[in-house]
Amino acid sequence: MSGVAIVDYGINNVRSVKNAVEYCGFDPVVTHDADAIADASHVILPGVGAFGDAMINIRARGIDEILERQVREKGKPFLAVCLGMQLLAKTSEEHADDGVVHRGLGWFDADVLRLMPNDPALKIPHMGWNMVAKERNHPILANIRESNLAFYFVHSFAMRCRDHGDVVGFAQYGQPVTAIISRDNIAATQFHPEKSQDTGIELMSNFLRWNP
Amino acid sequence: MLKKRLIPKFLLRDGRLVKYVRFFENERAAGNPVTTAKVYNDYGVDELIVLDIVPSEASRGRVVDIIERMSEEIFMPFTVGGGVKTLDDVNMLLRAGADKVSVNSEAVRRPEFLREAARTFGDQCMTVSIDYKRISPNHASVFIDGGREHVALDPIEWAQRCEDLHCGEVLLGSIDRDGTMSGYDLELIHRAASVLSVPLIVSGGCGSLQHAIDALEAGASAVAISSMFLFTDHSPIKLRSHLFSRGLDVRASFSSRN
Repeated sequence: MSGVAIVDYGINNVRSVKNAVEYCGFDPVVTHDADAIADASHVILPGVGAFGDAMINIRARGIDEILERQVREKGKPFLAVCLGMQLLAKTSEEHADDGVVHRGLGWFDADVLRLMPNDPALKIPHMGWNMVAKERNHPILANIRESNLAFYFVHSFAMRCRDHGDVVGFAQYGQPVTAIISRDNIAATQFHPEKSQDTGIELMSNFLRWNP
Repeated sequence: MLKKRLIPKFLLRDGRLVKYVRFFENERAAGNPVTTAKVYNDYGVDELIVLDIVPSEASRGRVVDIIERMSEEIFMPFTVGGGVKTLDDVNMLLRAGADKVSVNSEAVRRPEFLREAARTFGDQCMTVSIDYKRISPNHASVFIDGGREHVALDPIEWAQRCEDLHCGEVLLGSIDRDGTMSGYDLELIHRAASVLSVPLIVSGGCGSLQHAIDALEAGASAVAISSMFLFTDHSPIKLRSHLFSRGLDVRASFSSRN
C-alpha cells in the first residue's frame, strides 16, 4: 500500500506523468488492473484526448467501478489531471451532437462546457502558462507562493461546478476557468502539473504525500 | 491571461546541438542537447523547441532518444520537429515525450496532412513551422527543406491557410535574420500577429533584451531564441527579469523554491 497507480485507459501519452511521479521519488505503475489499483496508496487519473472516447474506454475496462470502490468508498488520495478532471463531471458537451451530451463519472455536481471567452481575440484552445488564483488553501498547494501559481494549460472545454465549495482555484481567460477542484480525498487540476516545471512538481509532490 | 513565453530553440544535427547563421553559414557546435536543456530548465524557460535540421531515419532514433531523456528530468512543454511526414512520425514523437509536433515542408507539399494530423492528435498538438526570406524589400517568400527550396507562397497567407487546416500554433522564422542577432523582422511579425488567431512564435534575430521586447510588443505570443542564449551572457533568467520589470506579461519567477 505504498505505490502510486496511474490509471491506464488507453490514452496515448502518460509518460510525462509517470516521469514526474518518479522524479518526486515514487515508483508508479501504469495500469487498469483492479488489484494493482487496490494495492496503490495514491491514484492518478491522467487525461489527454476526447471526453466521449475516454468514457467509453473507462467503462469498457470497468475502471469506473474500480475507482468508485478505491477512491469513493475506500477514500484513497486521488488526483485527476486535465481531461481526467473533466471526467469527474456529470456531463460534457464536447463533440456533443444533436444536443446529446456525454455522461461522466458524476463525482462532482458540475458540467463540462466549451470555453467561451468574452474577448474574440482570445484563442481556443486555452494553451500556455496562466496564473491560478486561490479560492481557498489546499494541501496540494502547500509551500507554493501565490505569485508562483503559474501552470501550463491546454484545453478547449472546462468544468463548471454548481457547488462553489468544490473550487480551490480559478484561472482567468476571458471568463473564470475552473483550475483546481477538491472534495475530501479527491483533487483535480485542469492544467498539467507534470508540464508546469518546479511549481507543478511541487504540487505533485504535495499530492503524493497527502493523506486526507 | 496567458503569459508571453520565452522558448529556447535547439537545432540538432546527428543528435548534436548546432547553430548556424542564415541557416547554412558558420556552423558552430553548441554542446549536448540534454545537459543544455537541463540548464535552461533551471533557468525557468517556458518551453523548448527541438528541430532536427538534417532529418534521416537514423537521426529520428537519436531525436526520440534525446526527447525521452529530456522528459525524464524536465517538466515543461516540448515542441519537436524536423522531417515529420506521416501520422506515425507524429505519434512516435508524442510518445517520446513531445507535447507538440512541428511540421514544415510536408505541410507545404501535402496540406491535407496537417488537417489529418490535427484531426488525429488535436489542433493543440500541431505546430506549423514556416521559414521565409525577403526576396525584395516588400516581398517575402516561403522556403522549405531547411531553407533549400523556394516555394511561391507568402508566409503570412500560408500561415493563415495553416490556421484553416487546424494547426494550433505558428512558428515563423526569418532565414535572413537567423543567427545574426540583429533583431526580429518586426514589420512582418506585426502583420502576421494582426491576422492570425492562433499563437505566433517568432524566430530569427534575437540578440538583445530589447529585441525580445520589440517582438512581443509587435504581437508575438512567444519568442524563440537560440544564438543569444548560447553565445552571449543574456541568460533566460536575465531576459525574464528584464521583461518583467518592463511590464511585459511573463511568468514572474522561475522557481517555487527560490
